Amino acid sequence: MKNFTYYRPTTADQAVALLDNKWGTTELLAGGTDLLDLQKEYVSQPDKVISLGGVKELTGIEGTRGTLRIGAGTKLAEIAANADVRKMYPALASAAEDIAGPQIRNMGTLGGSLCQRNRCWYFRDEQVQCLLKGGKKCFATDGENRYHAIFTQGHPCVIVNPSTLGPVLIALGARATVKGPKGTRELKLAEFFNAPRAEGEREHVLASNELLVSVDIPLPAVAPIANNASYEVRQKLSSDWPLVQAACAFKYDGGTASNVKIVLGHVAPTPVIAEAAAKAIEGKAVTEESATAAGEAASEGAKPLAQNGYKVQLVHVAVKRALLTAAGAKKYWEA
Amino acid sequence: MATYQWPKERRILGTRVPRIDAPDKATGMAKYSFDINRPGMLHAMILRSPYAHAKITKLDTSVAEKMPGVKAVHVIAQPGKELFYAGDEVLGIAADTEEHCADALRAVKAEYEPLDFQVLETDALEKDLKTVSPQANNRSNVRAGGQGETGNVADAFSKADAVVEGEYGAPTICHQCLESHGLVSEWDKDGNLTVWASTQAVYGTAQALAGYFRIPTTKVKCITHFMGGGFGSKFGPDIQGTVCAELAKKAGAPVKLMLDRADEATVGGTRPSAYGKVKIGGMKDGTITAYEVDCYGSPGVGGGSTVNFGLLPYVYVVPNVKKKHQFIRLNVQGSRAMRAPGHPQNCILTEGAVDDLAAKLGLDPMQVRLKNLPQNDPNAQMNAPQSYNALRNTIYTKELEIAAQLSDWKNKWHPPGKGPPKGPLKHGMGMALHTWGGAAGKPNEINVTVSSDGSVLVQASTQDLGTAAKTVLAIIVAETLGLEVKDITVRVGESQYGPSSGSGGSTTCPGTSPPTLAAAVNARDALLEKIAGRLGTKTDELSIGVGEIRSKDGKSWKWKEACAKLGMESVKGTGMWNADLDKAALSNVGVGGVQVAEVWVDTETGTVRCSKVVAVQDCGLIVNKLGCESQTAGGVIMGLNYALFEERIMDRHTGRQVNPDMEFYKLGGLSDMPQIVVHMHDMPERGVIGIGEPPTISTAAAIGNAVANAIGVRVPYAPYTPDRVLAALSGQKGGKA
Repeated sequence: MKNFTYYRPTTADQAVALLDNKWGTTELLAGGTDLLDLQKEYVSQPDKVISLGGVKELTGIEGTRGTLRIGAGTKLAEIAANADVRKMYPALASAAEDIAGPQIRNMGTLGGSLCQRNRCWYFRDEQVQCLLKGGKKCFATDGENRYHAIFTQGHPCVIVNPSTLGPVLIALGARATVKGPKGTRELKLAEFFNAPRAEGEREHVLASNELLVSVDIPLPAVAPIANNASYEVRQKLSSDWPLVQAACAFKYDGGTASNVKIVLGHVAPTPVIAEAAAKAIEGKAVTEESATAAGEAASEGAKPLAQNGYKVQLVHVAVKRALLTAAGAKKYWEA
Repeated sequence: MATYQWPKERRILGTRVPRIDAPDKATGMAKYSFDINRPGMLHAMILRSPYAHAKITKLDTSVAEKMPGVKAVHVIAQPGKELFYAGDEVLGIAADTEEHCADALRAVKAEYEPLDFQVLETDALEKDLKTVSPQANNRSNVRAGGQGETGNVADAFSKADAVVEGEYGAPTICHQCLESHGLVSEWDKDGNLTVWASTQAVYGTAQALAGYFRIPTTKVKCITHFMGGGFGSKFGPDIQGTVCAELAKKAGAPVKLMLDRADEATVGGTRPSAYGKVKIGGMKDGTITAYEVDCYGSPGVGGGSTVNFGLLPYVYVVPNVKKKHQFIRLNVQGSRAMRAPGHPQNCILTEGAVDDLAAKLGLDPMQVRLKNLPQNDPNAQMNAPQSYNALRNTIYTKELEIAAQLSDWKNKWHPPGKGPPKGPLKHGMGMALHTWGGAAGKPNEINVTVSSDGSVLVQASTQDLGTAAKTVLAIIVAETLGLEVKDITVRVGESQYGPSSGSGGSTTCPGTSPPTLAAAVNARDALLEKIAGRLGTKTDELSIGVGEIRSKDGKSWKWKEACAKLGMESVKGTGMWNADLDKAALSNVGVGGVQVAEVWVDTETGTVRCSKVVAVQDCGLIVNKLGCESQTAGGVIMGLNYALFEERIMDRHTGRQVNPDMEFYKLGGLSDMPQIVVHMHDMPERGVIGIGEPPTISTAAAIGNAVANAIGVRVPYAPYTPDRVLAALSGQKGGKA
């Protein structure tokens, strides 16, 4: 690990002031579950590491007018256990409690989940100079790509965004509050993610001197149930990344779904808003039949790589099951 | 001369005894080699070839040597040397901290001339680029292995009622020892070397290091008090062992060199892959008449078979057999022995075909198995009635009966794809059989000392890999001396305690139990002889009771009271393998086992969840039932990972392993584990037989059969992952590694 200077500011303003205006020289340290690995593998070699552990204003879950605000420094375990989250956003609670194992959830944060680097095995290999490390080619495109993107068009780098909270928050219509040298700005989570194409680009749109402060989620209707859900298809039940994730949220009045949002995870360099799928079920009752049709519409535009065609089928199933779960239907896939 | 025999009535032997070091392990008090920290200790790492095949053209360590904290450099591969896989060793560096060491490795100026390489079996089969080290002047990647025919296969297939052709296989998997390979080395001023090594061969490692440094074995001490798994990959100092000791010598300070996770995966050992085309034929009554296999696998950069060629087809007796094996040498680490080398591969290449034949014949696969079991060998029944060959049919038949009962086979098994409807979830059951040796490892010297305060000490250099080997020694000594397990102090894992055999081939329990009995009997006899006069009686009047020593006239003395008569003395008994012990036939060889797996396959997602595994295993005389059950459950867990999760993935463009980790090299966690029902088939009359390896052999094949039974089509290659299951369901073959 390259040696670095360690800073521990106590306010968000101090943290922002320490950040450089280019990527690579400074890194923010929250839970450390990603950054430490990257440093030990010499993939990330910052001169300055700025701990957010002392910045109290970044943590906590509180109801504000019309939204639930979650501080970017809030631990994943706390999000998963929070009573308000569990009641209003079962999609968020289930996604948070399914991340890795307890050790990671006890350290990892909301901000970390949204800002983490991708898990592509070529990117993570110190010896491989891929596109995102100043190299000339993406090794996954014609290499080992069973876990990579299936929505590949226009993407020279075929990573999948690893965040499972991202798709959920987009589906829930959340907004992010970001602090930079010129003050605070807000943006929709739907506009938060970026498909990196070269060195110096990240998986999100924040500038190198910006800090994610919090996320605000609009309060949904919760009676009789909150109609949002996240479904992950996973090879392992314990400590594994999803092969495909689908998150959805809708209003369910009088037996018809409206304002349907369906977002896919682990299928593209960013979460994918599946508009065709949402349109397919908008205004309809959520049944196995309508959910199946929506699921099939969700893979529209997919162009899988040599080894990951199976993910198209998983998209169909994940969307169908997420919709049925959100509608409170019987989980036909459970024994 | 004492005679040695296992007691007919067993007080502790064969019962469930918790391992004696369980509290230390559960509380973290146990110190593994990785936990050893010596005063002034340095940390070492190895610079490795980043290329799958390259020649070193330049190696300049001058900058690295001046890096902060660097204390010693040891070059392994000089310029001009050819390196044959990514991970091949170039040099070692020792520094004051791990971080300084890692930085210094990156300051080494090493230049390479990259050469052609091949890392995938299928690539080499398509075009052999001859990229591996010469063996007898031959650099070919594809090599002929065994080949042969018995009987007349073509004729048998033409007469068979049913013939099935299929493909079966499993990828290369990594040992992934939880405690990685490595050691701490320390030299004293008199040139004595002490190593705390994570090894399966304490005595052998000391000998090998003495040989390497050309010093007497007595000057090397190897210590392995606790060990975090080896599975066949840790029989000696290895290259990191000699490099670590070299660095310690150069630096004049203790050095720790433990592989990191990526190195553990890329150089710490693999089980070779095995893929085969199998054709099997049989008659309406279930008799298998012909078996033909054309298989290949990769032992990595080394050579040798990737199946147990002589034991193909596995377990069953088939009159007409034709077989061919090729091994594919690749630019990846050489494979090492891994828990029953060759057998899991054999099992997959045989048992899948047996089930598919049963399906085509419309028969219950358990009945087909019963029909084709090897018969008890009449010669063996005459000459060695307790031998495996004399009993194999009896053992398997009984075990199948037990397995059928524990798995509720009669009620739960259904023809392939015909399970009870539960939406997209399909239920499946499969079984597989296995066999293994498990003879006594030799030599093994065991010493038992009884002191005047009544304390009892057992010492041996043998190692406990996590198998509860220590507890075995305590049980036997306690049983023999009328004491409890807690009364026995066990010291193992130090080479100065005398010769011991390496723990491989399931040979440790059968190799140490008989000499431990002999040592305990000899110590007992020495004690009785010493104290008889002092107790006012004669030696042959005395015997051991529970917690006491008795004389024929009805008198008795509490153990401690009797031992106190030793005064300033102590007595010692030694047990070692000699003609007497051989003749006593306290151990044996050869086991059979049956496993049944139950799975649920989600046909929409292709995910497989294994819900239950029944494992029936014989091991002759059970020393510690709990230890045996634990070993068997552990074997099942490892076999389940082989079936569903593990796969070493190589990239043909970079020549590197893309998953040298525990993230995408997948291993099941608690939620992925089935209910494991273990039944130990006790046959005390056979003596002690080792079972470290056998319980892992048939699990993957049983799960593969259960998946096929669930969905009605065969998924050819393990691991049975969502992509492969979905491919099979859609009529495609399913991707190879």
